[in-house]
Amino acid sequence: MKTYDLIIVGAGPGGSMAAKTAAENGLKTIFFERGRKPGEKNSSGCGLGPRMWKQFPSMMKDLTPEKCPSLRAGAAARNYFINEEGIVVGYVMTRPTESVSYEPAKSWITMNCYRSEFDPWIAEFATYAGAELKNSTLIVNLLKKDGNICGVVDEHGEKYKAPIVIGADGAVSMVAKQSGLRTRWAQDQITVTPQYDFFAPPNKIDDIMGDEALAVWWSAIFPASYQVFFHDGFHQGLGNWLNKWDKNPLFYLNRVINLKYYQRLLKILDAKPRELQSHLLPWLKYPYNTHTDGVILIGDAGGFPCPLEAEGIYPAMVTGKIAAEVAAEAITSEDISKSALSKFDEMWKKTSVGEEFEAGEELYNIWKALPFSPKETMSWFVPMFMEVMGGIYDWSQPHAKRVRQIAAHVKSYMPKALPFIMKYVFPLVAKIFENDLDKIMDPQKLMSVIPKIMDLLPKKKKQRREKL
Amino acid sequence: MKIEIDGLTKHILGTGDFISIDISKCNNCGSCILVCLVNLWGRKDNRIYISEDYKEKCLECAACYQVCDAGAISFQYPAGGTGVIYEKG
Repeated sequence: MKTYDLIIVGAGPGGSMAAKTAAENGLKTIFFERGRKPGEKNSSGCGLGPRMWKQFPSMMKDLTPEKCPSLRAGAAARNYFINEEGIVVGYVMTRPTESVSYEPAKSWITMNCYRSEFDPWIAEFATYAGAELKNSTLIVNLLKKDGNICGVVDEHGEKYKAPIVIGADGAVSMVAKQSGLRTRWAQDQITVTPQYDFFAPPNKIDDIMGDEALAVWWSAIFPASYQVFFHDGFHQGLGNWLNKWDKNPLFYLNRVINLKYYQRLLKILDAKPRELQSHLLPWLKYPYNTHTDGVILIGDAGGFPCPLEAEGIYPAMVTGKIAAEVAAEAITSEDISKSALSKFDEMWKKTSVGEEFEAGEELYNIWKALPFSPKETMSWFVPMFMEVMGGIYDWSQPHAKRVRQIAAHVKSYMPKALPFIMKYVFPLVAKIFENDLDKIMDPQKLMSVIPKIMDLLPKKKKQRREKL
Repeated sequence: MKIEIDGLTKHILGTGDFISIDISKCNNCGSCILVCLVNLWGRKDNRIYISEDYKEKCLECAACYQVCDAGAISFQYPAGGTGVIYEKG
């Protein structure tokens, strides 16, 4: 039996970050990867945000196209809107706005690269720091003595002993299960995410997409679908909670691909499907049951992806680093109890990840009610939004009359839109701004006022000049 | 362009089963059939079964395991170094 100070199950970005931190803290550390190398089993792609450069500057400056050939940075994001007939009825392209304050974030919104390149890159920091990486090894159980967890067992029955085990083993975490922290997620805590990777020539992507990093396809006929551009290809995927599917997830992803607009895009990009991928992605209102005696769960295993748009790598790295620091302290003080490890929760709650989850429930609810409810919500949201954006482009009427028609039409959506705003938007805004807006944001007051304001819109045009 | 999914996945074939169903626990709800992208689950004579060649096709997302409220489906990842390979994941 081999003995270590710390065992980490999983060599994704979270596991590697934990291994690096632990080794730097002088812990004898081993981390396990079931693939032949890190990143071989992962398909989330990487949309790396500027927060990572802010928090891990010395590491991230090492991430170059030489190390990660698929790397592509972009400053623009595009939002497509698709109606019930499957027509792209509009799009909005955005770039970093005036209020963006962090300098690098002004020139790019995400750096995108494939996990098959990113994960080995980050694992190298851990092995360089002295952690031992064991590839092609599936950990199948926790080692227990007198009911206490004291290590792990691999598929060949080999035992590895350590006072603390970090579960960095993803959404379907063996460590979570065997430690009794979680058997499986509730159906509304986990999404399944099918995804195609397309090849496209780099020059075509540059010429046609410019510096777009990503696009979101907001739709009335499929759950919101994301598109992420890499150096020589792109991902097109979508997800939804497991209890929300009425047809095969691939049926909905193929609806994106089969849009006439999308087919044209594939044609001009000279794009060819290259890989089909699928993964589970936890999507929670708030992480819970993150640790017990001798065990800490990080990243996807702990339910840490962002509650708004499911960014997973950054939270995995942050929680991985903290878990290793807490483990180092616990080992030094010889107290690996659940209560000693609760410092993990204390610490992540103080980070940017913790701050994200402060509005976790509201962010989760609005995402569930809007992009993940194509039939119920997007079916009216898309035409209403486009009425405002594009209604004026009609030369069959005088413009002033047209504006009145648009206003009247938007008003017709109010019975659906107002309850939605009350139920999902105001709670979120109120949460974000805390109590400051309570007085003016009182839903009761607004409900009584807004329809009256709408009624004030003139039904008939007044004559501006007396007739001669 | 209609996408043919055959040929869009790569596998290293391992030995040993990693997914199984306990028919005595199965409530025949069919959720596993619904969520499997590559259609590895089926129903015959009112019994749910997994395709014999699932090891060559499984994407290892574990949606079948996760969606099974009856707890009838066992899932463990395939042996280290085998199973699906994502080169552009």
